[in-house]
Amino acid sequence: MRLNRLLSVFILMLGFCCHIAQSNAQTVDDATLRPLVQALAGDNFENTTKAISDLVKTGDPRVSKILDALSAGDLYVAKADKTVFLGKRDGSDYAATDALTGAKLDPVPRSAAEKIKVNNRLRRDIAAAIGGLTLMSDNIAERRSAAEAILKTRDPESIPLLDQAIAVEKDAGVKALMQQAKAAAVLNSDAADDVKIAAITEVSAGNSRAALGLLTPLENVQGPVGEAAKAAIDSINTKLAFWNAIQNVVYGLSLGSVLLLAAIGLAITFGVMGVINMAHGEMVMIGAYTTFVVQQIIRTSAPGLFDYSLLIALPAAFLVSGGIGVVIERGIIRFLYGRPLETLLATWGISLVLQQAIRSWFGASNVQVGNPSWMAGSFDLGLLTLTWSRLWIIVFALSVFAILQLVLKKTMLGLRMRAVTQNRRMASSMGIRTPWVDALTFGLGSGIAGIAGVALSQIDNVSPNLGQGYIIDSFMVVVFGGVGNLWGTLVGAMSLGIANKFLEPFAGAVLGKIVVLVLIILFIQKRPRGLFALKGRAIEA
Amino acid sequence: MITQWFFTHVDRRGGIAIALLVAIALLVPLSNLLLPQTSPLHIPTYLVSLIGKYLTYALLAVALDLVWGFCGILSLGHGAFFALGGYAMGMYLMRQIGPRGVYADPVLPDFMVFLNWKELPWFWHGFDNFWFAALMVVLVPGALAFGFGWLAFRSRVTGVYLSIITQALTYALLLAFFRNDMGFGGNNGLTDFKDILGFNIQAGTTRSMLFAATALFLALAVFVSSFIIRSKLGKVLVGVRDAESRMRFLGYRVDRYKLFVWTISAMMAGIAGALYVPQVGIINPSEFEPANSIEAVIWVAVGGRGTIIGPIIGAVLVNFGKTYFTAAFPEIWLFALGALFIIVTLFLPKGILGLYGSWRTKLADRAARKKDSAPPPVAAENVHLPEPQAAE
Amino acid sequence: MKAQDTLLYLDGVSVSFDGFRAINNLSLVLQTGEMRAIIGPNGAGKTTMMDIITGKTKPDAGDVYFNGEVDLTRHDEAEIALLGIGRKFQKPTVFESHTVEDNLVLALSGPRSAFSALFHRQSANEAERIEDILYTIRLNGKRDWLAANLSHGQKQWLEIGMLLAQDPKLLLVDEPVAGMTDAETAETAKLLREIAKTRSVLVVEHDMHFVRELDVKVTCLHEGSVLAEGSLDFVSNDQRVIEVYLGR
Repeated sequence: MRLNRLLSVFILMLGFCCHIAQSNAQTVDDATLRPLVQALAGDNFENTTKAISDLVKTGDPRVSKILDALSAGDLYVAKADKTVFLGKRDGSDYAATDALTGAKLDPVPRSAAEKIKVNNRLRRDIAAAIGGLTLMSDNIAERRSAAEAILKTRDPESIPLLDQAIAVEKDAGVKALMQQAKAAAVLNSDAADDVKIAAITEVSAGNSRAALGLLTPLENVQGPVGEAAKAAIDSINTKLAFWNAIQNVVYGLSLGSVLLLAAIGLAITFGVMGVINMAHGEMVMIGAYTTFVVQQIIRTSAPGLFDYSLLIALPAAFLVSGGIGVVIERGIIRFLYGRPLETLLATWGISLVLQQAIRSWFGASNVQVGNPSWMAGSFDLGLLTLTWSRLWIIVFALSVFAILQLVLKKTMLGLRMRAVTQNRRMASSMGIRTPWVDALTFGLGSGIAGIAGVALSQIDNVSPNLGQGYIIDSFMVVVFGGVGNLWGTLVGAMSLGIANKFLEPFAGAVLGKIVVLVLIILFIQKRPRGLFALKGRAIEA
Repeated sequence: MITQWFFTHVDRRGGIAIALLVAIALLVPLSNLLLPQTSPLHIPTYLVSLIGKYLTYALLAVALDLVWGFCGILSLGHGAFFALGGYAMGMYLMRQIGPRGVYADPVLPDFMVFLNWKELPWFWHGFDNFWFAALMVVLVPGALAFGFGWLAFRSRVTGVYLSIITQALTYALLLAFFRNDMGFGGNNGLTDFKDILGFNIQAGTTRSMLFAATALFLALAVFVSSFIIRSKLGKVLVGVRDAESRMRFLGYRVDRYKLFVWTISAMMAGIAGALYVPQVGIINPSEFEPANSIEAVIWVAVGGRGTIIGPIIGAVLVNFGKTYFTAAFPEIWLFALGALFIIVTLFLPKGILGLYGSWRTKLADRAARKKDSAPPPVAAENVHLPEPQAAE
Repeated sequence: MKAQDTLLYLDGVSVSFDGFRAINNLSLVLQTGEMRAIIGPNGAGKTTMMDIITGKTKPDAGDVYFNGEVDLTRHDEAEIALLGIGRKFQKPTVFESHTVEDNLVLALSGPRSAFSALFHRQSANEAERIEDILYTIRLNGKRDWLAANLSHGQKQWLEIGMLLAQDPKLLLVDEPVAGMTDAETAETAKLLREIAKTRSVLVVEHDMHFVRELDVKVTCLHEGSVLAEGSLDFVSNDQRVIEVYLGR
């Protein structure tokens, strides 16, 4: 029985070899082809089957279209002259075209034509035949999708076709895919154990998740095949676990970058100046709205610049949020230095006012901020699929961090800023205008929040409530990392991001977040000054 | 005897407040129930419930002031204790619905039937008894506050750090209570209540009684706060607020004092929540919103922190303003509230009552100094501190 | 052990903050009933030493014993205060929103638990002690004043009064005469000598007139360890002391 089938497969293969040898998808002239097409309108299904296989043997690219039409029931035969044509119902007529050339024919009255009947078995044959044909197609995308289709159906009958196609395939990617498909089909066939084991090796080299799906049914098969499958499954699982961990780290880093962006401005106002700015989230929100406004202006006046909209929005958001920050510092916060709890309340009031102002101005619902083309799409890294926006956020957050470190360490403003934080009286007696340094520091922190808003506008809904979603997380990051220490903020943000992502699979997103919050609350009990705490007498005062 | 005992623990202002609260606990229900609707002194039922709601807020504010005003612990999470008390009461009210729910299950509340739960979760047992629920109203917030405070105060988390983690606490609870599988009705919370203690919760008499209960509990809270503040313990608390480490060097276990007042305050907030829920008819996770807790802080700040009745005045005034503004000019309300935060912290750090109070203590202090024959003391700011670089 | 029969015994104590050695192998012994003056330039570690004795700062190394037997490094501030060590801060720290009398009530030795405080009623004995202390610190006419309204010198005295109310065995007094007039300084020296009759006292001070008036053994600290120890005359003639502290 099995031998019989193998033999028939072999014969089919042989047939194909000959056919491939004479023509790799080359055109056969109409005269040869037309009688074969006519034969489709045979008296019984058997004849039709033969006609299909004859047609396929020609390897003509037009064949697949004709077979498609046959399968869909669009192929008709005129009662009078038995001509086969492509028909489409048009009132009481069929709009007819020539099956081969596609030339328009006179409409045929519906009563004068008959549909060529197909049954399910025929349809299956047709599908297999088309699969085989498109494996040979000139078009690389068609060949790829044909291989993918077989990978799904795992039809053993297509093995010979695949062998054919693999032999002539030039594109490495498609070739690998075809080999995968072939291995999948072999596993689904009655092939000998050693053939199957080879196929298992082949399959497990490919897409791991798909391979798991193929191999799992074999796991319980007795004998070497089952064992090989089991071993392959184990190794795939190890590999998947590894990549899963990598994915958690990468996703965690990207979440951490978002946290870092939101928190880093706070690390300056809270960490360096000791000012609790509850309106920090609103600075982020205003940055996001600035991006929206910039994009609106670009859309109406210079649509060509849209891809640069974020680059234009960055300085704009920095100036807008930073400017508002300076105004807040000069107008309110400077009267509250040394009274942190009052500062907290007053800035909360500011946050309410800013939220309502934006709501009155832009409306309460989300505004649409577009993604420039370079933020869209994704790429593969090993078994990971990463979106470009995720990657850009990481890069962006780290650059902001680096630039900020440079500003604090290398510029005059940074030097003065540190001087004022460490010893206000001394700094002021050395001629540093401490009020301006305060205002600029607060402005810098707010401006960075605005920049964060530009980035967050790409991954989050831009609404007046945007900032509220980040304020608690940002404070957690700063407090966790240790106040007054930017590196602490970086490490804090990244570790919280990664912890969140590792907890998510076990606990779900919400519960994971709760767990992280509770852990931070407990952590602060242990180290009230955070991860990278400064200690000493000065801090206690 | 009793009056004498009473007045050693309550000052004049507290006494007046308690008397007033007892009076409205009697008069408002009487006016609502006995006077004809046409009478100008008749208070309609909706207004009874509205004022009742304000008074539960006032109770929350009194609780918050006990820790913030007198002990310097700025809690941004008192809404959590309020909401937990409210949920405990809500669970009792849910169980009272019995088979009258939409799905007519004799035991399971509607939302559990909807979620296809087969039996009552363990933590819902006992809530069909009023006494049990009443106990939980104080025990659950009290236990949470005790655990949280024990950890926080022992490791000396103070100031803004403490404020921020209290905010994180209520935020974590907010997220948790939004989840359906927590078993507290998820997003929708608990609602559609029918009876309380066998009385129809919608009826005018029940509403009046709830109002009276609220006013009396508020009076009790004023008394308890006064008792604590006027005791030596109260003096220790104020000492902790003003100079915590000095208190430690005097031999006081500051963490235990804080823990005591923190837990009492959380229990008061729980009672406030429990009285709030039957009067508004719903409890849902939004009560855990950090914004709610901060709003409670501004009630205290407006009225005057560090005073016993300031928080009551603040809570009633701000919430009256909120009711008025959100109905008349909804756009303006957040501007007004935000401005209130800014103005109070900048110009009225001690609130309405504090302004009045500091003016009065100044007078009293001046009188005390007049009695004293010593020359007027030198203001501390004027004393020149020599630079202790080198002597001789 | 060596700590026996001493009231305060520090040996080989070191502590550093972020790499800065505030106290470096410091050893100091105080006998029961002794008054000692500590001098030294800014940053010599005087306040940090007090922080270590009172449990605010834990030393990285070294022994700190009280009464010859109690290891102070194992106790926190409140416990150490109850053992009988009172401390006056450099900046006068009184409870400004309490009256003078309430400041003393809070400081008065007695049960410290929250429960006892809640139901505390003042006894006749306590009232009498407060009366005594008010007299001693010359504030008996100002008992109802808010502490905030006292002059700087009066605050210093109130704080000393609070120390007395605590009834400690050892008083740590940090710069008691800073900001005082000459007359007040002399009064304070008198007061401290009076106190030292019944208790041990450790005084940190910069004012050399004041130290001379105290007329006690002097220890000079420098960079976290003892530079010289002895009578004031002996110490002030030490070359190194003159170099780092007194100046030529």
